[in-house]
Amino acid sequence: MTNREAEQRLRDEAKSLLESAKVDYIVGFADGSLKFHTTPLITRNKDDVDHLVINPFMASNLAKFLTELEGRVGIVAKGCDSRSIVSLVQDNKVSREKVVIVGIPCRGMINLSKIEQLAGKESDEIDDITRQGDKVVVKLDGSEKEIPVKEVLFDHCLACELPTPKEYDLLIDEPIPATPDEEASQAKINKLEELSHHERWRFWQNEFSRCIRCYACRNVCPACYCQRCFVEEAEPQWILSIPKWQDNLIFQIIRNIHLAGRCTDCGECERACPVNIPLRSLSKEMYDLVGELFGFKSGMEIDAAPLLTHYELEEAEDFFR
Amino acid sequence: MNQKISKKDISKLLDELGKEFKVFSPSRESGVTTFAEWDGRDSSFLEWYRNTVISPKAQLQPLYEKMFSFHKDKEGYHLELPPPTDKKLIFGIRPCDAKALTIIDKTFQDTYQDPYYLDKRKNTLLVGLGCTNPYDSCFCTSLGLSPTQSSDVDLMLTDIGDEFLIEAVTDRGMKLIKKTSYLKEVTKTDEAKAEEARRQASSKVTRRLDTKDLAKRLLSSFDDQDFWEKVSNKCISCGICTLLCPTCYCFDISDELVKKEGSRFRSGDSCAFPVYTKMPMENPRLEKWRRVRQKVCHKYEFYPMSFEVIACSGCGRCIRLCPVNWDITQILASLPVKVKA
Repeated sequence: MTNREAEQRLRDEAKSLLESAKVDYIVGFADGSLKFHTTPLITRNKDDVDHLVINPFMASNLAKFLTELEGRVGIVAKGCDSRSIVSLVQDNKVSREKVVIVGIPCRGMINLSKIEQLAGKESDEIDDITRQGDKVVVKLDGSEKEIPVKEVLFDHCLACELPTPKEYDLLIDEPIPATPDEEASQAKINKLEELSHHERWRFWQNEFSRCIRCYACRNVCPACYCQRCFVEEAEPQWILSIPKWQDNLIFQIIRNIHLAGRCTDCGECERACPVNIPLRSLSKEMYDLVGELFGFKSGMEIDAAPLLTHYELEEAEDFFR
Repeated sequence: MNQKISKKDISKLLDELGKEFKVFSPSRESGVTTFAEWDGRDSSFLEWYRNTVISPKAQLQPLYEKMFSFHKDKEGYHLELPPPTDKKLIFGIRPCDAKALTIIDKTFQDTYQDPYYLDKRKNTLLVGLGCTNPYDSCFCTSLGLSPTQSSDVDLMLTDIGDEFLIEAVTDRGMKLIKKTSYLKEVTKTDEAKAEEARRQASSKVTRRLDTKDLAKRLLSSFDDQDFWEKVSNKCISCGICTLLCPTCYCFDISDELVKKEGSRFRSGDSCAFPVYTKMPMENPRLEKWRRVRQKVCHKYEFYPMSFEVIACSGCGRCIRLCPVNWDITQILASLPVKVKA
């Protein structure tokens, strides 16, 4: 199926879901107002579904909107989005019956920051970016540059274990097998791990000095669904509301602990950060730790029990009983 | 009479200005583009600087600042005020960011004169640098300014190739260049080049916002809940567009206490956050659409009602940095009710 055909099928399916009143909302991606950007399309109107697109710039994790919308929702989901949906279902935040998962097999999303770095230009100055198989062609100032796709995908996409949703109601195209390249995905994190304790501490001090406490990392995260976040508690006040680096760091550490077993490594926190804090370098550590200690990967199996809210009578630790 | 300076001499000029002022210039040293203290060598910003993520407003209203410290002993409480403000110079401020300061001045010197902001403002000189390469998110020309406009700075620089044309806008600006030895007289050709640069820069700003009757149109759409729900549904209620906006100025006040001493801080706050309007019994803006409406109406309806100027200079940060590409120009263009002039 060509991309155009897939897009048309998606629009047709979305329209029929709305027309047959199987869903109240369609949540998907539309072209953004900036070059090479998409924007979430959340609509009840069947005429709007003609704006739905499928392209390599659908970076957002739309599962975030499921906890906000009332009624039945037809949601466009890449593999990673489907993991977040599954995790939300397991946490009883979203009812599976109220969601129609429209699965999109995904070959990875293009990280514009990586393209900008390689091209030496910002994205609005670039004429065109197209994916052609394992290459990305960047048109700039009348010339074309071919870049291996692995150099420009998001780090979390490089490690993707589920390009095609496992849990879906409709699948728009042929499934794509997983080909995770853990090494490439870990490159940035491995460099950090090579640093001494002291150097790493200095690194994070510097990174968190930039934090402006916009909470975009928390607000784009589907797993951050608490109605009252600990940072906003006044009694007791866990951390100061002013963006001092120490408090910024503690905020992020506690957030990561809260997300153990919920984080699906979708990379949204790092993408949303307006001041370029490499947040995935923290969250991926927690993700891997959960995998190592418990053999658990959030959102992979719909029947799995959620990691930290479930216990067995046979648990070795008797304080559970 | 205008003068000019070679781009090669900018470092020397900044060194010279650094003797009298704490000089701030565009920097990406910290990992994000912002204005940082001139380090005496790095004028490479002239190559890459378009507009910074953190606007130079942060030099006047920092993300957080100490208002005073206090401690308690046998005699009671003692207050300690922050040290006097440094004399600062912001080199390279863009016309939109300079205009933004003129806009928020009105709030800080209204019936309440805010000493924290105004002391810094009085002691800060602005050296503007006209844009040559605006972003596709920029829409300053729709707000009645141009990317090379000199109205809100002390000294204005316009790129004319290997040199900058320098225009002294205020007396303070005039004094600044009197002392420096790197300036040359401009020729008619230079003036013509500057004019062409101004024209080109303006033509590169392509995003539009129709401000005609905007306040009226907003007023008549205020109760249209369907509209506000529709345009706010993809907003994630983060603080990016407000905290990074050069015309947003809201702040919160909090104390840091350690045993018998502490400090009072103020820090940026955002009307996008539900806790912004949290009160003991209720929250008038618990729903997202009410918060989005507040943000939009404050800038384009309430602020002009109070101060006769729109609280937006078209810098486009709210569009460019938004994680979901929420676009204020699209929202305003889709306002449902058209009011007859």
